[in-house]
Amino acid sequence: MIEAAAQLAVNAVALGAIYALVALGFVLVIGAVGAVNFAHGELAMLGGMAAVGVAVLLPNDLPVPGLVVLPAVLATMALAGLLLAAVAYAPLRRAPPTSVFIATIAVGLIIQHGVTAFIGPEPRIGPPLVGSGMLRIAGIGLAHQQLATIATAGVLIAGVHVLLQRTRFGRRLRAAAQDPEMARSIGIPVPATVAVSFALAAALAGAAGLLLSNQYLVTPTDGGMLMLKAYIAAVIGGWGRIWGAAIGAVAIAVFETLVAAATSYLVAETLLYLGVLVLLAVRPQGLFGEAEGRRA
Amino acid sequence: MRRLLPILSLSLLLPLSAHGAEPLAVSVLVPITGFLALEGTAQRNGAILALDNPPDGVSVTYQVADTATSPEVAVTALQRALDRENPVAIAAPIFGTQMLAMAPLAARAGVPLVTVSGTASITEQGHDVVFRFFPTDAVVKVAQARYAVEELGARRPALLYQTTAYGQSGREHLVRALKGLDVTPVLEEAIDPGLKDLVPALERARAAGADSLLLQLHSGPTALAVRQAHGIGLGLPIVAGSAMHQPTTAALVEPVQLEGVCAETASSPVSEGNTDVAAFTKAYRARFAAEPDAFALGQYDGMRMVLAAVADGARTPEAVRQWLATRRHRGLAMAYVSDGSGNMAHDAVIVCYDGKVGVPAIMKRYDAVDGVK
Repeated sequence: MIEAAAQLAVNAVALGAIYALVALGFVLVIGAVGAVNFAHGELAMLGGMAAVGVAVLLPNDLPVPGLVVLPAVLATMALAGLLLAAVAYAPLRRAPPTSVFIATIAVGLIIQHGVTAFIGPEPRIGPPLVGSGMLRIAGIGLAHQQLATIATAGVLIAGVHVLLQRTRFGRRLRAAAQDPEMARSIGIPVPATVAVSFALAAALAGAAGLLLSNQYLVTPTDGGMLMLKAYIAAVIGGWGRIWGAAIGAVAIAVFETLVAAATSYLVAETLLYLGVLVLLAVRPQGLFGEAEGRRA
Repeated sequence: MRRLLPILSLSLLLPLSAHGAEPLAVSVLVPITGFLALEGTAQRNGAILALDNPPDGVSVTYQVADTATSPEVAVTALQRALDRENPVAIAAPIFGTQMLAMAPLAARAGVPLVTVSGTASITEQGHDVVFRFFPTDAVVKVAQARYAVEELGARRPALLYQTTAYGQSGREHLVRALKGLDVTPVLEEAIDPGLKDLVPALERARAAGADSLLLQLHSGPTALAVRQAHGIGLGLPIVAGSAMHQPTTAALVEPVQLEGVCAETASSPVSEGNTDVAAFTKAYRARFAAEPDAFALGQYDGMRMVLAAVADGARTPEAVRQWLATRRHRGLAMAYVSDGSGNMAHDAVIVCYDGKVGVPAIMKRYDAVDGVK
């Protein structure tokens, strides 16, 4: 009983950590351009598919294939993010935010159908981060994969924190997000900063896709579900609040898993969205306040 | 790219035989994108394999169109096919919602729709042009329930089913079949197709004292359920829906995780020792670089029956429809005959994995489950 509860809790945190990576990237783009990137879920799916593809090239006996694949996925998806910025944002940067999000919807569908056509419609399984097995703590067995997922996501989230809070790039990025005109006037290259935001967001989405692809598989239609989780996490955490979204994502996963284990998935989903409705009515700016007033 | 080439080439009109009478047209309208792309692609492949190899003296052309995931797209594709191709028959989507939208239009045109859709209501609307070459839930769910109860001794099964129409229909028939066997599930849990963590439901099954697990889930969720049940050491025999027989599903699960896992299906081409089915499987692999499943074989058999009708002199949609409605056809998976409503398939099989290889063995055959022989 205790072991089952512990395993459920670890599963929930692992899934929440993955959703947090997706939500972080989602909010980064909102902060950078003031518009929702509706292709973000598909970028996560694409990262999972990229991990599947890269893993095929590796020898079978690698002890940590997922960790070996991770840098390649991050780099590939960063390039995909730059491409997305060039196609769906740069030509529309003077257009209303609605134009950008319509463009990202189009790109998302192109990614989904492109993956179906080129790779196939069936679910795929990505490389495990580490070898299988259980870690026993106080007599309770916890799966290596889930613990590695939490650790990897934690390192990536901490890395983003350092990047945004402790580096010149992070300060520029935050300045460009808060007031693009002022940032431009003091010499910050806003278009380049925005492009890098897209790259960073896509890389984080790709990492989430990799982490998801082994334990939870990856299919071409996964993007919508991931996008929804990120969107709700952003609403819970506060629109544009990077850490609010990450915390919101973990909260969603923990709530869903634990309530589903006690009642059912339908009850868990219903209660979650009822909670979101209540939150919107009582505190529309989210738990941690709204960082960005421009909603799209 | 090897997967894209067939899709690109399918938009071309392909004359398949230079000799014999004027070629007749057949349209292939199936979902090759969207959430049913896996099953739709199998359908497309099965249809193409049949149409590419017509009987001697038969000449057909075909075009493929993607019906994606909405009824509107499917109806538009059907209207275009009727206007431009004048088909004698149509390989129609596995997606029941699309079939329901297409059937009235096809009925007005008098063109038979040949499908492997499992949605019960598509043959209950009074349209005499719908022909289903895959057993309905009224057949396969009975086989699934009977195998669990009669062969595995299940008395307290837990049932996980999808929230989709597919899952709801399967659940309804499974519960009815179990009731007929004097068994009531100790847990019934609806699973959204996008759900990734099924451990909460599996733990609830354990807490409810389940002695077996019945699944009515799509491919990805089926694989997740089997993997996660093994991961938490659930240790219950699993009798899954037809998704588990699909080679693409089995490929997502380690052979050891499949030990004690069975599935209902219409057929399992990769498991059959029959020479003709083995030849089909070999040709399918060579043509599509993929493993065939029951949907591919069902659609293949359906199109072979259409071709048999044409070979027998049926050269109009009405003649083909009449032939399908009244004749018996020996296909590769089973013998097909209409029950009067267009349900052509009445047999089911149970396949099980041994935990050593990823190819299941046929454990039991249930013939004429609905009483139609």
